[in-house]
Amino acid sequence: MVMFIAILSVLIVGVPFITGLFGTPVGILPHDPNELLPCAVPTECAAPPSLQNWFGTDNIGRDMFSRVLAALPLDLVIGFTVAGFALLVGTGLGLVAGFWDTPGTVGGTLSVAIMRVTDIFLAFPSLVLALAIAASLGRGTVPALIAIMVTWWPFYVRLVRGEVLAVKHLPYVAAARAAGVSGLQILVRHVLRNILEPLIVYYTMDVGTVIVTFSTISFIGIGVPPTIPEWGSMVESYEKLLLTAPWTVLAPGAAIFLTVLAFSLLGDGLRDILDPRSRRALVQTATAPGLPAVKGSAAEA
Amino acid sequence: MEPLLKVEHLSLDYEVGAGTFHALRDVSFEMMPGRVVGIVGETGCGKSTLGQAIPRLLPEPPARIREGRVVFQGTDLLSVPKWKMPLVRGTSIGMIFQEPINSLNPAYRVSDQLMEAVRIRKFRESGETEVFRPAEGFDYSKDRPVDPKEAIGRTFLPSPPAARSAGARRGSEELRIDALEYLRLVRINDPETILDLFPHELSGGMRQRIMIAMALSEKPTLLIADEPTSALDITIQAQVLTLMKELMDEVHTSILFISHDLGVIAEMADDIGVMYAGSIVEFGPVGEVFDRPAHPYTKALLKSVPNRYKEDGVLPSLPGSVPNLSRLPSGCPFHPRCVFARPPCEPDPGPSLEPVKGAPVGGGHRAACYYSDEVFRLP
Repeated sequence: MVMFIAILSVLIVGVPFITGLFGTPVGILPHDPNELLPCAVPTECAAPPSLQNWFGTDNIGRDMFSRVLAALPLDLVIGFTVAGFALLVGTGLGLVAGFWDTPGTVGGTLSVAIMRVTDIFLAFPSLVLALAIAASLGRGTVPALIAIMVTWWPFYVRLVRGEVLAVKHLPYVAAARAAGVSGLQILVRHVLRNILEPLIVYYTMDVGTVIVTFSTISFIGIGVPPTIPEWGSMVESYEKLLLTAPWTVLAPGAAIFLTVLAFSLLGDGLRDILDPRSRRALVQTATAPGLPAVKGSAAEA
Repeated sequence: MEPLLKVEHLSLDYEVGAGTFHALRDVSFEMMPGRVVGIVGETGCGKSTLGQAIPRLLPEPPARIREGRVVFQGTDLLSVPKWKMPLVRGTSIGMIFQEPINSLNPAYRVSDQLMEAVRIRKFRESGETEVFRPAEGFDYSKDRPVDPKEAIGRTFLPSPPAARSAGARRGSEELRIDALEYLRLVRINDPETILDLFPHELSGGMRQRIMIAMALSEKPTLLIADEPTSALDITIQAQVLTLMKELMDEVHTSILFISHDLGVIAEMADDIGVMYAGSIVEFGPVGEVFDRPAHPYTKALLKSVPNRYKEDGVLPSLPGSVPNLSRLPSGCPFHPRCVFARPPCEPDPGPSLEPVKGAPVGGGHRAACYYSDEVFRLP
């Protein structure tokens, strides 16, 4: 069951992402996302979902299904980019801040400096800070992207530093030190390897959160220009149609919801796969159940 | 003969929020090559601190070495720059910890961890890197902060260039064969299977034996075993002890054996040091110290070992407990619990280790008590 959910979420996340990599999938869309479909009254084109237009059309006659799908690559790329940037920067700074934190040394001073700057960023609600930065940079996709990037990494510094502090005092790190392993190698081989699991899981779930934040910025109207299909800006621009043509708001809203849910499930699945304890269990249930005693329990005897 | 390890007047404090704890106070002892030295004492007397202070594994702060020297093969380890200490650890001074449950990295298979240890030794043996050499010490003229470029290059390339060009695959095959050999050495059945398991799939006794295999695979000159059997049940404990005794002959290593178990020490050690409140109160050959202790604390400790028969009635126990290391009593730290205590013991801190009068000359039996000869003469 766990494996099934994990594989399913890989498909939900992976397939559109790969199609997104090869450009906006205009070719596979039923309609051009900005094409105005013919209708009787030019200002009241909103048509409910039908066989021709699966998610209906909006007030000026654009196909909602095509618009929602066309927005997927942009939102995914933004999610992965921002969370990936935060992952790299945050992990680097967090490792340094957590591992070399002896007071009175160069590392200790650096560690304090990193954590204080992180605290300053964390003191602001990140969405408000991102909005302020995005607004000051002007309207557009890139300013919104930069704004989220700038505000996103401090969470990773916190997470990584906390994990490093917990792991570096465990007996196996002391044992590695006693075996003569050098500091940098302990950091990479023993500390980083053991905090990788929570980190990757957090990253995966975070992609969804980034998409929500980006959509929020677009929703407020300082993100993506309205000609580019984007879920958040779509929800914003169709807001006044909520009562007369609810499908125009529900379709992009549901897309955001499903994407974030898929990333959450993917994160959960990854957690189960990455943990050696449960991984061995998964492998064993996948292979023949009638095998003689499990290797591990044979060793216990 | 030159002693392998000479600890001279080593004093170490822990500086924590609650105050300063004098964990080691003026500890001195010597260890000859090929000997097994046992360190015994109650919980909190500083045994483990001593064991970890020698290869400088204690984080500083909170630990702070106030004074003293730790001379290992002619080099004072306390004057070796900190970033060079990894070169001493493992191949020169190995260590076995008391917690087998968490001492193996849960993310790697047994093979990865064992091969890491073997690789460290091979890398150092190959001469590709600077190593610790006896009596020579390190070249302090080049005592400079690490060049980051060099450090990164050095630590990310664990195998020597020659071995890597010969093919990483074959290199790791060789390491694997070596690792298998050490698993057989610690008497593990079916080592091929065990090598591919994760630590959580093994029992405590197996993990402890793998820890021992890891420590031995680096062929250390000195092995510090910090209560290696305390977490194991009695049958496995016996197995591990027998094993360590056999291994001593096979690998030729000197062992500093730390334990609170007098029986284990009697079994293993040649010399014994008895610790109380951060200092060694008695030191000498194990037979002599056990037969005729010269310090009141040793005497009381030996009395509290259970006999085989029940007729003796109530087991004598030592009243009171180890003093708080941040507020030691005035004078001799043992005087509040000592049956031999006299008025001078309270203000006077007592002598440092002195040869016991009446003990065989040259045996090295020493005690830190004014009345040691009196205690020694008691039946």
